[in-house]
Amino acid sequence: MIILRERLEDALKKSDAEYTDIRIEDVTNSWLNFRGKELDNIGSSKSLGGIVRALVKGGWGYSTFNDINDLEKRVKDACESARMVGKEETKFASVESIFDEMKATLEKDFREIPLSTKKDTVEEYNKIIIGYNKKIQTTSVGYSDSFRKIWYADSRGTYIEDERPNTFVYTAATAREGSNVQQGFEAISGKNGFQIVEGFHKKAETAARKAVDLLSAPPVTGGKYTVIIDPKLAGVFAHEAFGHLSESDFVYENERMKEIMVLGKRFGSDILNIIDDGSLPDGIGTHKYDDEGAKTKKNYLIKDGILVGRLHSRETAAKMGEQPTGNARSIRYEFPPIVRMTNTYIDKGNSSFEDMIKDIKLGIYVIDSIGGQTSMEMFTFSAAYGYMIRDGKVAELVRDVVLTGNVFDTLMNIDMISDEVIWSPGGPGGCGKGSQSPLPVGLGGPHVRVQNIVVGGRQ
Amino acid sequence: MIVNQLIEKAMKKAQSAQAWLGQNESTDVSFENNRLKSAESSQRTGMGIKVILNGKVGSSHTTDVNDVDGVVNRALESAEFGSPAHFEFPGPNEGTNVKIYDEAVLPVTKPEMVQIGEEMLILVKDYNPDIIVSANVGKSIHNGEFANSKGVEFSNESTSFGLGIEGQWIRGTDILWIGHGFGWKKREIDHVKIAKKAIELFKMAEKIAPLKSGNVPVIFTPEGLYVLLLSLNLGFNGKNVFLGSSPLAGRIGEKIADERFSVTDNGLIDYAGGSDKYDGEGVPHQITPLIENGVIKNFLYDLDTAGRAGTKTTGHGVGCNPTNLVIAEGDTSFEEMVKNTKEGIIVRDVMGLGQGNPISGEFSVNVQLGYKIENGEIIGRVKDVMLAGNAYDALNNIMAIGNKAEWVGGSLLAPYMQIASLSVVAK
Repeated sequence: MIILRERLEDALKKSDAEYTDIRIEDVTNSWLNFRGKELDNIGSSKSLGGIVRALVKGGWGYSTFNDINDLEKRVKDACESARMVGKEETKFASVESIFDEMKATLEKDFREIPLSTKKDTVEEYNKIIIGYNKKIQTTSVGYSDSFRKIWYADSRGTYIEDERPNTFVYTAATAREGSNVQQGFEAISGKNGFQIVEGFHKKAETAARKAVDLLSAPPVTGGKYTVIIDPKLAGVFAHEAFGHLSESDFVYENERMKEIMVLGKRFGSDILNIIDDGSLPDGIGTHKYDDEGAKTKKNYLIKDGILVGRLHSRETAAKMGEQPTGNARSIRYEFPPIVRMTNTYIDKGNSSFEDMIKDIKLGIYVIDSIGGQTSMEMFTFSAAYGYMIRDGKVAELVRDVVLTGNVFDTLMNIDMISDEVIWSPGGPGGCGKGSQSPLPVGLGGPHVRVQNIVVGGRQ
Repeated sequence: MIVNQLIEKAMKKAQSAQAWLGQNESTDVSFENNRLKSAESSQRTGMGIKVILNGKVGSSHTTDVNDVDGVVNRALESAEFGSPAHFEFPGPNEGTNVKIYDEAVLPVTKPEMVQIGEEMLILVKDYNPDIIVSANVGKSIHNGEFANSKGVEFSNESTSFGLGIEGQWIRGTDILWIGHGFGWKKREIDHVKIAKKAIELFKMAEKIAPLKSGNVPVIFTPEGLYVLLLSLNLGFNGKNVFLGSSPLAGRIGEKIADERFSVTDNGLIDYAGGSDKYDGEGVPHQITPLIENGVIKNFLYDLDTAGRAGTKTTGHGVGCNPTNLVIAEGDTSFEEMVKNTKEGIIVRDVMGLGQGNPISGEFSVNVQLGYKIENGEIIGRVKDVMLAGNAYDALNNIMAIGNKAEWVGGSLLAPYMQIASLSVVAK
């Protein structure tokens, strides 16, 4: 399908708003999922839709649609909504006008691979888990790919075509003994083609082993501990503990939040650096431009423990007198872009894992991530599992490890950071802000040691 | 109807087929940071088909209602490698009528929606001008068509209306969020009552009350009950039962909860969020008791899962998920529960739910909005507190069940419930 640049530009000419943009997306998707021995479902879909945003006197009008035949009407609808809303002054940052037509490069183009091959590839992983051990009760092993073609034009002269492919595979094993049910997961996602989901056999086996091992692990005892967060969980920690607080849509019209988030304020010790980088090569959250035509870049949020930056859309940047950072992202055409993270990580420090663990008398080494959530001040993040640390050594496996913190003291309690950043392999999940879920976000970090963190559990 | 064209086209190759089409028009207005921020109109279409070809299932869907050939061909292609069909599409079966369309929804204008939002916002600002308020009001109308090759054919029209308000109150570095809202298929929602409820929740949170780690009785508000219900939703899902990942598998007739505890799935409540005459597979909705007086009665099934498990669908297609859940009322008022508590907490909103191992019943969550009770009185809000336990243990440890069920989010009707003891870890 071809959408001509002229059609978007003609439609934009019908706008009487101060600013207007149109984004059209054409998405093809295929998926399959095994539950236990059998294929649970397999299929494919196509969707086409778009959104017009219009801005009048600081008020937004949106029109979203699947029928792209009457773009002029959609523009008129959005302008009418914006006129009803707007009563103030429009502030919207200018960015350099762009003309760019980007093509995705896929090493193995999943669109040319038959569904039968996709099924056969994934079925091997499913068989590995089922055959691992008789304690394996069932599985959920699946695959999905999508190819998004995006056309974007705005009333200030930018025109962008982008292609955003994505592929993921996940392997989940469920082990059971009586009423004790435990799960192990491994997943990967990426934009470079089908090859990333090939050769996942060892990971499938790891998922099965974890599920079975967790059957004999006790639940963690609740309390306050010194924890070492592994790199896969450190990214989630950075995302939940601080990342969301740096999203300026929580700050830009909120005087109290501006006081809390004033640049130059100390949030952690000198060793703490937190970065969001939408231009990171091969990152899960990487794009050249965000969804309102602003270039992505590397943004320091915390440098040497001090708040030095935040994430912006063109509107939040203008209202705060700062520069756009390329963080206005939308999960699909049904949604206007909102301020989001891209690839967020805690930067490396200079400690070795051995140095970090050796003086911990009683603590927990928390590993791999199930997810996290924040209410800005308080946050939670969940490890897939953990090991107790006893007298400076990794000891027994424990399960149900959910951690909570408070941004104003937990970051200050980070006292050691290891010397290598590792990026999480991704998977089907992502960030769920504002019901736009799951948005692919990169999560990375080194090993991070935190003192005095609350871990939920029975006592 | 377009669904008939889909069926006709598919039946040239397939042995049986099922098709749906949906069209949706919605309008929303949204307030952020104490002011009207945006208005949106949205138009959506979608259609899909499921085929059985040589005993195997394939499916496809699209947003382009003109692409009849394309969507059918893709479904047939996927059926070549599809999963074996363990079911047949149902024949015509007259279901029970339920109200899902309210003619009062369509005429509501954007300016009227703005006014509703403004009135809620003003109420909260009158209580406390320091609270930063967001609000939203939305309506939608949905037209659906459904048909299968066994002669089922119907179309339906439904409406929905919803609104909510959220406030953020910052004192120093203490950031408190409280929200309340409601939505269902009917226009009739008292927005003033919604705003007043949010204000009441703020009033109880004016002070922060200290809490020591230990085991305390916990009152779950109807909203807070999701902490326990998440495990039940997974445990009663027929697919998890069939695959054996549900700890309830094979235990029908067994007592798993306090005898005062009963929960029913009811897809036939007028205007409720999960109500409809038929499920997504053309099977009539019904009333399904899940737990009666603590005893497991039924699990939830769709066609395919029921076929695999050798049982009958309960009208929960596709996916074996609940429609609307109704929890039986008890005999204790919320006020009495509080009065009878020497030291305990009330839990309304949590963070981190579902990030542990919910299917086993385990939960470990941060209490995002909860209150402390001391000597029979609510003395303030708790913070930096983790609550942990097992949902199935908790349901055997019920102290009191409220005597008045309330709607939560349009598809849960539940009373307050007090659990005798759960673990809390405080900062």
